[in-house]
Amino acid sequence: MALHEKSVEEIAELLDEYGIKHGPIVDSTRSLYEKKLERAMEDAPVKASSDKTYYREEEEEITYITYHSPVKRDGYTDALKRRGNAKVDESDESDQETESLIHVTKRTANHSPIQSKDQIRKSGGGMWLLLLLLSVLAAVGYYIYCRVTSNEENTFGIQ
Amino acid sequence: SSGNMSTTSQKHRDFVGEPMGDKAVTALSGIGETLGKKLATDGFDKAYVVLGQFLLLRKDTEMFTEWLKDTTGANSRQAVSCAQCLKEWCDAFL
Repeated sequence: MALHEKSVEEIAELLDEYGIKHGPIVDSTRSLYEKKLERAMEDAPVKASSDKTYYREEEEEITYITYHSPVKRDGYTDALKRRGNAKVDESDESDQETESLIHVTKRTANHSPIQSKDQIRKSGGGMWLLLLLLSVLAAVGYYIYCRVTSNEENTFGIQ
Repeated sequence: SSGNMSTTSQKHRDFVGEPMGDKAVTALSGIGETLGKKLATDGFDKAYVVLGQFLLLRKDTEMFTEWLKDTTGANSRQAVSCAQCLKEWCDAFL
């Protein structure tokens, strides 16, 4: 549909979509806004027209991931929980940690060939989260190790 | 407004110095006889009607400049001068 056939609401929506600030779309302003829109659409032809299909593809990808990963994820999570409980049973943070680790595994497990920019950014964040988590785990482990050794020393000292 | 100081005319200073009242469209800086006639034919016979258009375009000088060029065939210098004139008038009186 040509721009001049669109309703005022449609024109307003398109202007918003292309980030063009606008006032009322009336007889004296409409042709100017249509011109601005045409120019914006030429500059970024992909943006408006295929934007919606792009999102749909993304959604399909996400559902695909959630359908296929549970088995793998659950196993990993359980193992991690066991490990976490064995190591740090008194730590309140352990639940939170495993939860965020689930996120990480979900993200990093997604190695689909078509990765959107968004997903790349997210998995990048996931990597940082993973690194942060590993360092936290290492710190907790070291803390426990220190306590255990000092306890041993103490008991030996008393005896 | 600072960048345009060197190009402001006496006409500009006269216009932004007082309420526009019932002034003709040609009182706007950048609008001479020819552009004034063209504007009047389109219904913009008074400065305040042009101000109305400027306000409809949210006081966006760039948008207004483009509109004025498209509708009257004004050149960039004329259109920018008129937009600047209305902008400064608004800053002072709105």
